[in-house]
Amino acid sequence: MFTLIKREIQDHLLYLIGSVVLAAILIIVLISFVFQEGTRTDWDDLIAPVIPIAIIIMLGFCAMGVSQMYTDRNRRVSAFVSTLPVTRTQILFARIATGILTILILLVPLVVTITILIRWFESPIPMYAGIVFDISSTTFLMIFASYCIGLLTGWNPSKVIPTFGALALTCILVPLVIIKGFGWEIAMLLVAFIAALLIRTWQTFTSTPL
Amino acid sequence: MNDEVIGVENLVKYFDGRCVLDGIHLSIPKGCIYGLLGRNGAGKTTMIRILLGLEPATRGQTSLLGVESTNLPTKVRGRIGTVAEGHNLIQNYRVGRLIKLCKDLSLQWNDEFFSHLIETFRLPTDRRVRELSVGMRAQLNLALAMATDPELLILDDPTLGLDTVARRQFLELAIEIIQKQGRTILFSSHILSDVERIADRVGILAAGKLVVDCPLEQLKQRVKKLRVIFAGSAPTNLYLTEIINQQIDGREMALTVANWNEQKRALLETFKPSSCIDVPMSLEDIFIECTRPIGASVNGG
Repeated sequence: MFTLIKREIQDHLLYLIGSVVLAAILIIVLISFVFQEGTRTDWDDLIAPVIPIAIIIMLGFCAMGVSQMYTDRNRRVSAFVSTLPVTRTQILFARIATGILTILILLVPLVVTITILIRWFESPIPMYAGIVFDISSTTFLMIFASYCIGLLTGWNPSKVIPTFGALALTCILVPLVIIKGFGWEIAMLLVAFIAALLIRTWQTFTSTPL
Repeated sequence: MNDEVIGVENLVKYFDGRCVLDGIHLSIPKGCIYGLLGRNGAGKTTMIRILLGLEPATRGQTSLLGVESTNLPTKVRGRIGTVAEGHNLIQNYRVGRLIKLCKDLSLQWNDEFFSHLIETFRLPTDRRVRELSVGMRAQLNLALAMATDPELLILDDPTLGLDTVARRQFLELAIEIIQKQGRTILFSSHILSDVERIADRVGILAAGKLVVDCPLEQLKQRVKKLRVIFAGSAPTNLYLTEIINQQIDGREMALTVANWNEQKRALLETFKPSSCIDVPMSLEDIFIECTRPIGASVNGG
């Protein structure tokens, strides 16, 4: 399994590097903003910019999912790898593990930074204690759902369906979060959505001719 | 003890409503070198892909090493070496990286043998797979498949794209492997001389059916081509079963019959032919006769 994950990482190194770079940029922007505002920092102000940034990140991860599946299908990677002592489920699992790892590379440093900064520069207006967890978990699920959309739509020989299908489905997710807000309700919805996407992806990937 | 390494039961495959494989039954025992023959589009690659679990069957069951093809666990896959038609290697990888990937994923790897093969084939490890010639890709694929010391080797047109020297090297290697280790090989090929050289059992696919499935020697004995000359005009119906091909030209008749035996000879004698000569047939002649639109089945042994 480690070999398969390593192969996925090496083949999609660009996305991992992109995650690291993006995380670094966001941390720098965040720190400079907080240090500028000092103890007057209103953390609620930071929630609004999260949405457009999240959309960009979601589209990026959706593209990663599409890229992983589309290149596999076109280069017939799985057709070759599955002749080795590897099952298709393992190939897909390694792919998803790489996707999760890339998302975590982006999110974990950000969440850690935000948590530290909130403790250092406490807002004058008391904040809801679980806000960081709610936002970060919902953001993770949104990004992961977009990635799963990419995986599902990317396993398609046509270029139109992966591009527009993924784009449309990703755009549906954002208004959903705006309407419902961050919290366990949206998290439950996203978990159900992700489960459905993963089951369908697994079923498609394991049953189509390679 | 069940010695069946490859099992195919009533295999049917349709592509867009077109029947490619029509009720194939096949059983290949351990240690057998099975040559699968057929014209282009006869269904050889489809059958191999179904066996490997790369393609779902419309109906029927296939098994490798006693396990259903659709559900091959990694342990069983590790005992099978494969060379796919067209040598579907990962094109953008460097040869060295591809070798490392295969080595890391394989359950066993014979480094000494693999190095010997790489040296024999003179394969460059620093070049990308797509930069290799078709022949070199074929050699690399063969080397990768053989390095795992497979119990079962499935080769789909393995010598396609190889030059004469490389083809000879491969065939000798295949013979060496089978002799040394008693492994089972299923290979499809268009080059009949290759099959004749290494296979001990052959199958011929024609119009989706396995029209021939028997040991090579038996096939040569069972399929008979006769040149029969009659005193008058040659009869149009000889009442013989399993006629593969029959051509009449005045008093002369060229007749190819499957499963030739004494009963059939006796039946032919009742027409009182003035002469009946056996025409020697090579595997190529048999193949051409069997793959004509109407053919009888030659099964046994």
